[in-house]
Amino acid sequence: MFRTAASVDKVLRQGIRFRQRRDPFSVGWAEREEELMQLTLANHPITDLQFGSPTRLEGTVLIADPAELRRLVLTDGSIIGVDFDIVRPGEPCRAGPVFDIIEPRAKEPGAGTDFPGILGAPFTAGLGTTHVLRGAAVSVLAEISPDLTRSATGRVLEMSGAPIEASDYAALRHLIVIPHTKAGLARQAIEKVYRVAGLRVAVALAQSALNHLAAEQNTFQSVGPGESSHEGLPRVAYIGQIFSRQRKPAVDEPILYGANTDGMLPIMLHPDEWLDGAVVPSLHSWFGGTETYFYQNHPIILDLYRRHHAREINFVGTIATIAGSDNFDRDRHCRAAANLVKWNLQADGAVLSKYGGGLPHADLAETARLLENMGIRTAVMVSDVSRDRRVESALLFNVPEVDAIVYNGGNGTKWQVPRLDRIIAATPEFTELLAGPMTIDAANIVGVTNQQGASRMRAIVY
Amino acid sequence: MLRPSVTYRVYLGVNMQIAHYLNQFFGGVGAEEHAAMGLEIRDGAVGPGKVLESSLDGARVALTFVCGDNYAVERQDELTAAVLKKLREVNVDLFFAGPCFDAGRYGMAAGAIGRAVQAELGIPVVTAMSEENPGVDLYRDSLYIIDSGTNVTKLRDVVAKMAALGKKLSASEPIGLPAEEGYLRRGWLRDQLVEKKAAIRLVDMLLTKMKGEAFESEMPATSFAPVPIPAAVSDLSKAKVMLITDGGLVPKGNPDRIEGTAATRWGSYNVEGRDDLRAEDYEVSHGGYDTRFVQEDPDRLVPLDAMREMEKNGIIGKLHNEFISTCGRSNPLSNTRRLGREIAEKIKRDGVDAVILTST
Repeated sequence: MFRTAASVDKVLRQGIRFRQRRDPFSVGWAEREEELMQLTLANHPITDLQFGSPTRLEGTVLIADPAELRRLVLTDGSIIGVDFDIVRPGEPCRAGPVFDIIEPRAKEPGAGTDFPGILGAPFTAGLGTTHVLRGAAVSVLAEISPDLTRSATGRVLEMSGAPIEASDYAALRHLIVIPHTKAGLARQAIEKVYRVAGLRVAVALAQSALNHLAAEQNTFQSVGPGESSHEGLPRVAYIGQIFSRQRKPAVDEPILYGANTDGMLPIMLHPDEWLDGAVVPSLHSWFGGTETYFYQNHPIILDLYRRHHAREINFVGTIATIAGSDNFDRDRHCRAAANLVKWNLQADGAVLSKYGGGLPHADLAETARLLENMGIRTAVMVSDVSRDRRVESALLFNVPEVDAIVYNGGNGTKWQVPRLDRIIAATPEFTELLAGPMTIDAANIVGVTNQQGASRMRAIVY
Repeated sequence: MLRPSVTYRVYLGVNMQIAHYLNQFFGGVGAEEHAAMGLEIRDGAVGPGKVLESSLDGARVALTFVCGDNYAVERQDELTAAVLKKLREVNVDLFFAGPCFDAGRYGMAAGAIGRAVQAELGIPVVTAMSEENPGVDLYRDSLYIIDSGTNVTKLRDVVAKMAALGKKLSASEPIGLPAEEGYLRRGWLRDQLVEKKAAIRLVDMLLTKMKGEAFESEMPATSFAPVPIPAAVSDLSKAKVMLITDGGLVPKGNPDRIEGTAATRWGSYNVEGRDDLRAEDYEVSHGGYDTRFVQEDPDRLVPLDAMREMEKNGIIGKLHNEFISTCGRSNPLSNTRRLGREIAEKIKRDGVDAVILTST
């Protein structure tokens, strides 16, 4: 049954009341939390997405009610209108600029908050059961270009033709959400509106699965620095940048549990917190290859889990960090991150990924260098920065200790995409711009140059 | 030059035509005592060319160029021109040079001629050298150079690899990686969709490294020649000092159209008679940092105000009446080297003694 935002809040408030209750004779919340310390994903495969009323799940068909969703989105007074559309794999259509892509997920009542710190109280993410509409996505389009120095089109969702092989997003059924904001809002205010609208719609869709039996339930095995079940196996940690201070975040910019990361030092997160809504991309990152979808389906964390389950490694935990704005800032973050991996997680090895543009490469390499000097082996993943396709322009650091590098590609690939009759965009100008035929850089097809580990596009040295 | 495709020629029953360059030794003339010999053009295959023919089914070496090593390096331009002239008169599908092994002069000549043939005639070229051959560093980025090693007795294997690669090139087939085809790394990048996602490759690489096994980084470390530290300015109070930035500060309207990413241009802007850069006169062309603070007050990036004070107080002799600006964001080295050279030439011409570079 579809729940309105008000009923979501009601569920959450019940949780809060329950937690605050001091009843010595009943099972306390703390014990319940202990019980729920593992994340269970209840997967509902979605094979089709259609408009209808009310919003519901019929077998594997997701029905979305535009009127209900419109009411939900319009509770934000900055939004004056919203359009919805549906795109399916293989359909000759193109949508853009894409602000974010989100997997529809909803927490089971009592298991915590959806996107804690943004849509509700900042309870710990990653506890209890979360229902997942696997195969579906909510994709938010923007009325503005991300950054004119990069591309006028922004990132484009292409559902047919050659580019689909290079992006996981082409295989999903997308509910396209096009919010129209009132005039006169600052850029970051508009982006914040997009963020919240997308998350709300994604949660609302997934709430239709709450009273359905999941096709499969996956519970992640327990991980942590003190986990005794995996003793003797190589201890591996993940360090992920979640922001780059190349830009100062807006005061109300939600990134980590709704906080804007200003002044933060590296923090330990349970892997399930990443997967369950604790982290979203920054408002300015929609050209940067980071989408909410791949935090929810974090390729690095999921691969570490896979090997943890296979008893190949002991996955000891993760660190969320940010790239600094200057050398002091950088040293502070890199050292704190390395120290957490060494002393708190006591890892033997770590994989590292970056965020944003060029500068964060320096933070990535410095953190890896510190770890290597502590005796902790590292491998890092960087984005493609070589615009002249020469190897000499490929790295932004030259650190002998950082010798294990995964190199994402994309700078050398362009696709000729045809004129399409079906273009989904927020404005007539974007519709015309995206109509084609045109040449489009790989980096401008959403998903191709993803920085969270989802990309299969590699720049190979020859 | 338009030539029928190899496929079409095979269809017509025409054999693939090859031209081959050899030095005096492999051309069968003699050793070092014949290094001064000039260019000889022979019909048919000579020495290693016969191996080429046997490796390329149905191919025919139409021409063999033989030249002495000394002559080739001393009169390289003349030799190259003569080879090009001859090749314009005949119709060949492929050009081979060598293998040169570790013979330095031979490698230099093979590289120079090969590059010209490929660039000017559009004929695919394959050569072979050992990694230490000085021809490799000069020509690896433009040519496919099969790794020949230094052992001449391996000639047959090396020529077979040259033939296989040449065949692919002339048929415009995709060329595999250095390890697959046997050529020396050219220093270029190309995109490829691979089976495994980056995340999986990342964890794979770490675990291999942790086991102490050999792992292959997807990017080799780059090293650059150190830039020598220049001599200190002997007397700053007499020096002419200039401000240069790669932070993209430009006059309103960006008159030189300096790009906000990978700029190919730079500009020089007059500040004579001004003590301060006013926000309304400037804008920032740079998409890689938060430009709001510079836009509020351009002196934060190009500190004209502070420099004027130092000028007044006699700490510096004079501030140059122009500042230079470009945008450093995502700029490849092939581009920044040129920008640097052009800027250095200008400030030398202007008699500047010292430069303060401000970056972002």
